Amino acid sequence: MKAKRPSPRWLWLGALAAIAVVLPLLVSSAFTIDIFIRVLLFSFIGIAWNLMGGYAKQLSLGHAAYFGLGAYTSTILLIRFGVSPWTGILAGGVVAALASLPIGALCFRLRGPYFAIATIATAHVLMLLFLKFRDFAWGAEGTTIPNLGNAPLMMQFDSKLAYYYIVLVLLAIGLAITYRIERSWMGYYLVAVGEDEDAAEAIGVNALRIKRNIYMISAFLTALAGTFYVQYIYFIDPNTAFSFNVSVEAALVSIVGGIGTLWGPVVGTVLLEASSALLQSWLGSSHGGVQLTIYSLILIAVILWRPSGLLGVLTDVYARIVQARPVKKEALLDG
Amino acid sequence: MIETLAQAVVNGLLIGGIYALVSIGVTLIFGVVKIVNFAQGEFVMIGMYISFFLATYFGIDPLLSLFISMPVLFVVGVLIQHFLIRRVLGLGDMPQIFLTFALSLLLVNVALLLFTANYRTVETSYSETAIHLGAVYVPVAKLIAFVVAMALSGTLWVFLHSTDLGKAMRAAAQNRDVTMLMGINPDRVFAVAVGVALALAGAAGSLLMPFYPAYPMVGQVFVLMAFVAVVLGTLGNVTGALIASLMMGVAESLGIQFVGADSGLIVVFLMLLLTLALRPSGLFGGWTR
Repeated sequence: MKAKRPSPRWLWLGALAAIAVVLPLLVSSAFTIDIFIRVLLFSFIGIAWNLMGGYAKQLSLGHAAYFGLGAYTSTILLIRFGVSPWTGILAGGVVAALASLPIGALCFRLRGPYFAIATIATAHVLMLLFLKFRDFAWGAEGTTIPNLGNAPLMMQFDSKLAYYYIVLVLLAIGLAITYRIERSWMGYYLVAVGEDEDAAEAIGVNALRIKRNIYMISAFLTALAGTFYVQYIYFIDPNTAFSFNVSVEAALVSIVGGIGTLWGPVVGTVLLEASSALLQSWLGSSHGGVQLTIYSLILIAVILWRPSGLLGVLTDVYARIVQARPVKKEALLDG
Repeated sequence: MIETLAQAVVNGLLIGGIYALVSIGVTLIFGVVKIVNFAQGEFVMIGMYISFFLATYFGIDPLLSLFISMPVLFVVGVLIQHFLIRRVLGLGDMPQIFLTFALSLLLVNVALLLFTANYRTVETSYSETAIHLGAVYVPVAKLIAFVVAMALSGTLWVFLHSTDLGKAMRAAAQNRDVTMLMGINPDRVFAVAVGVALALAGAAGSLLMPFYPAYPMVGQVFVLMAFVAVVLGTLGNVTGALIASLMMGVAESLGIQFVGADSGLIVVFLMLLLTLALRPSGLFGGWTR
């Protein structure tokens, strides 16, 4: 039975989208918008990670590889060939997706923790290679992106708002892709592989192919974030582009929010970034290490007491609030 | 040419001994408890800071502080096994991987808060001395570290093979369920395995201190090496990890000597990726005795 009226789920989504669109117009401080952009960006990276790490349970700690490849592809195209980052962002995605094939072929031979270690190694190798090849990609010094002022065709804007809306669109794309995959055969295969790879193979799921495909999608999306990030900060070097922190945060926000759920990475990023922003304003200036100390404590707490993530806590609370209301049959079918 | 080669091999073997202490710890925990300890490098870091502070404030030689760092880290290991690792055993990959990973993040960043990112060094009377064997130059501090590391590895081997507890640990590594049926208390065996592994990391830290700076991120170098060694040497295989660590020390040193100062790690990672491509089960087959 299909609902004629928009279901509560879609109303919620519409409200959320409206808030996301209006929110930056209500704040004037560039600092706050900067935090919003970070939240959206890391939600998006988390979503890309979650497709593979959350649904297929392939726990990568090397997504910086694709972040960096995306960033470098678009920057090299821009500076060496004058190609607009709008083309470069897609090219970066394609390069990353292609790179995920050989990397996956190697790493998928390993399971669990050793898969994670192998992915760390691949991201690290890429960083070392980009550090070494000075002629081709500026080596350790990196390079600044030539500032053209307000040049929308070259993905450069005077106002931070523009960047905000770009990354908001990226996030919407990421959520839409996850939503589609979740409800497709691929989604079920992914969950089956994540639950028990051998059992999934036994009932005819081609585990290697499904992992390869989701890795390509995940790499593609992560690379988009890489291009966006260098365009936003106007600078690239191997340590920023292939930063281990990107790999870590991609996994962290998903786990804290709720691994293998549509909204988990978003919830996780909002919680972590909010805690770190509050902490910074409370402590004043930056204390090296405070942010990650808090993140790791939250992560340990989540793992020990709520391994399914904090999104579940929110929905429990929500369920308790609406419990008093009689549940309509239609709503059940929609949900 | 031959001298350069010999020098590079000696340098590699000497640092490989330290890698061995770290990777034996990783492989021991993996073998017995079936957990990959991402925080192993951070316990090397803690060992280094223990030695640094003992040397700076009490004038205790870093090599003597081995007798403090090892027991301290053994106790830390038992506590971590009891309060943290034990709680995620039998759960999925995610909690098992990310618990120790979070622990690693936590320790690095707490160290950053407490000790800042500054490099700390300890000068000893033997820090600068070296023996000349023909044209080959052997720094005394590294030689001592290597000899002690090998002695500790040998002691562990004897412990695993001739004591009841050691045999219980090997049995638990082979088949946990049957071991429990034989009346062995797994909690105790696991706690000792983690304790011993951390004590080895602490020893590595103290041995490094005379010639290596301590800083919060120092463990990452060693843990990456250890992971590669553990994969090369076949997961859970103590002897394999030892041999692979020495090989990797040499490979890294040859890379630095003949490819470029920044290429040591590339050589090591290429070794890892090649192994994964050609022999994903590692060079040494299953659990050897």
